[in-house]
Amino acid sequence: MKESVLEIQNLSHSYENGNYILENIDLVVKCGEIISIIGASGCGKTTLLRIIAGLEKQSRGTVEINHSIVSDANFSTPPENRNIGLVVQDRALFPHLTIYENVNFGIRNLSSEIDIPLEYLKLFKVENLSKKYPHEISGGEQQRVALARSMAPNPDILLLDEPFNALDKQLKTELHNETKKIFRKKNSTVIIVSHDIEEAKFFSDKIYKMKNGQLAEMSIMTKN
Amino acid sequence: MQKISVIKLWVAIPYIVLAVFVLPILIIISSIFGEWSENWSHLYDYVLFDYIYNSSVLVIGVLFVAFIVGTSSAWLVTNYRFPGKDFLEWALILPLAVPSYILAYTFTGLFDTFGTANIMLRELLNFEEQFSLFPNVRNLSGAIIVFSFTLYPYVYLVTRSAFLNQSQSMLEAGRLLGLNSFQVFYKLGIPIIRPALIGGLMLVAMETLSDFGAVEHFAIQTFTTGIFRTWYGMYDIQTAMQLASMLLIFIGLFVILEKYSREKARYTTKSSTFKPKKVNTLKGQSAFLAFAFCFIPVFIGFILPISELFIWMYSYNMDYFNEKFWETAANTIFLGIISALLCSFFALIINFLIRLDINNLSRVVSSFLSLGYGVPGLILAVGIVQLFVWLDRYFFTGSEIILTGSLIGLIFAYVIKSYALSNSTIESGYERISIVLDESARTLKTGNFRLLSKIHVPLLKTSLLTSTLIVISEVVKELPATLILRPFNFETLAVSTYIYAAEERMIQASAPAIAIVLVGLIPIIILTKMIRSSRIGRQY
Repeated sequence: MKESVLEIQNLSHSYENGNYILENIDLVVKCGEIISIIGASGCGKTTLLRIIAGLEKQSRGTVEINHSIVSDANFSTPPENRNIGLVVQDRALFPHLTIYENVNFGIRNLSSEIDIPLEYLKLFKVENLSKKYPHEISGGEQQRVALARSMAPNPDILLLDEPFNALDKQLKTELHNETKKIFRKKNSTVIIVSHDIEEAKFFSDKIYKMKNGQLAEMSIMTKN
Repeated sequence: MQKISVIKLWVAIPYIVLAVFVLPILIIISSIFGEWSENWSHLYDYVLFDYIYNSSVLVIGVLFVAFIVGTSSAWLVTNYRFPGKDFLEWALILPLAVPSYILAYTFTGLFDTFGTANIMLRELLNFEEQFSLFPNVRNLSGAIIVFSFTLYPYVYLVTRSAFLNQSQSMLEAGRLLGLNSFQVFYKLGIPIIRPALIGGLMLVAMETLSDFGAVEHFAIQTFTTGIFRTWYGMYDIQTAMQLASMLLIFIGLFVILEKYSREKARYTTKSSTFKPKKVNTLKGQSAFLAFAFCFIPVFIGFILPISELFIWMYSYNMDYFNEKFWETAANTIFLGIISALLCSFFALIINFLIRLDINNLSRVVSSFLSLGYGVPGLILAVGIVQLFVWLDRYFFTGSEIILTGSLIGLIFAYVIKSYALSNSTIESGYERISIVLDESARTLKTGNFRLLSKIHVPLLKTSLLTSTLIVISEVVKELPATLILRPFNFETLAVSTYIYAAEERMIQASAPAIAIVLVGLIPIIILTKMIRSSRIGRQY
């Protein structure tokens, strides 16, 4: 039986006005599992991702990563100490760093004999762009770099927030196939937030639907 | 543990800076509750009324002229196309490079009976030597002209930007409802930009009240000259501080009004249905009048003083650019760089803390620190001297004076006066960095220090450079604080200019004065770039 990497218990989150956006969320994600969370805009799926990443703090409940509590109502481990990867829709590549430097940014294992950034750039087929700057490459290439950058530090969980949204259909399909292969090859634990049910079906072992601040597993056949 | 202490130190920086900033001001204000000396009866009987009258007339006169010149020229360059308009659009800010005291010196050099303009005109018209063809400028009217034509760019800059953001549809609606183009200007254009306009005018008022060099040269008794004379003439620091408190209260009102107007201006200039300005082309007489109206302020505020300075320099065969000049210039640049680096550093750390959103207090502290620009250099100097005398007496035993008369006081004053400039530059730089970059860096195992040094600082490179350059040019111009706080025998370009001008050695004053104007051009170049980029949707 696979070990759980992420466990969320009884998690709730409210705005300053007291309205709850997340209510009593329970979620377990196992090692190497890919799950998707789908739902309408503003339903709270991105907020959940941000809470897991440590970018926001929940009002109630606990988040555990690798069996250690990283946040509860009183305490929150900062994002930099959670070993989590995050990719957002607008890529957020550092504009003043080259592609190689971007991918190298989160790597702390300086003694490694392998050129880790190059390995991930090769994996995402963008090694020829390593000396370029983000503004010099296309949107699809930027997305590949963002994925490479988030995976290079070998995070325990990879969080993807609508990562393929800004791409055209052909590019999206191409990147879907390649990315899924890489996730499986690296045995990555991934949570994808999306509004696209087809994308969720393609990637995921499990799909959860978020509605009225609550999370429910959907019984949809995924394309695994 | 080490990390925690570093973070705590960062968090403490704004409060330490605030405490240090506020002390000299508190010392000044506390003088109100101290003893009122016998000199007050002398001041009350002979000069206090003059201080109040002259300062008030000066401010009202300058506000009136600066309003007319600043708003009208801004309206013309944003709404019309005429010959020379592209040049004038940026040239209208050139007088900002000329400090009021330098314009005052060149005015007397030009228009006194034996001034350059009088001599040239007399020779041209073959008049005798006793004829003075220009009226005396060493009076209130002369001072009003000097301040108006060096300070109107504050009004021009804010109103120009507000006019550019005005809805074209609204102005067109005015025309359709029967207003002519002049009525559109004063019935619609001006009232809508009122908050921005008041903000600009308040800056003009503050600068006018803070000046010492120009009014001293024209021998006009105002609050600043009064403070100086009470201190250095009567040797009565307590009364000088009490006078300074009164001036500070007046200026405080202008500062509050300016801040309030700036806040309001943000809401009034944004339009969701923005339509780029339609620019009408002027021809013939109206084109000439528009050109003349915009050219005259540039001529009086920049071309005239620069020409006079160059004439003086030429007649002195450039001899003044000697060793002493370079030493003075080096002193000035050294002070400028140190102050600029400190201002930029404080502004960077405080804005970083605001971004981290640790607490709202950093934002409040930053707004409070930004008020330092409104405190006249002379008042700051009085407060700092008092503070340092007290610190020397209580903390440094023995007869040696450590702080008083050292460069620390001078740098201290510059940093307080210039922090707002650094803050606004770095704040706007931070606004352009998406918060998503911070969040990505965080998930890539980046702590506070690394986020600041590897992401923010490289991305803020231009803002940090701009902040440094602007503060340097401000420090180079500052006269009253430098005059009082400088160490013995230590001269800067501004002090050098002042000393020569006070001795009526105008020709010798030209070299440092030209150097001040040249350094003052740095922020103008930066502003010009900003002006060009603000012309989005340019349609000709």
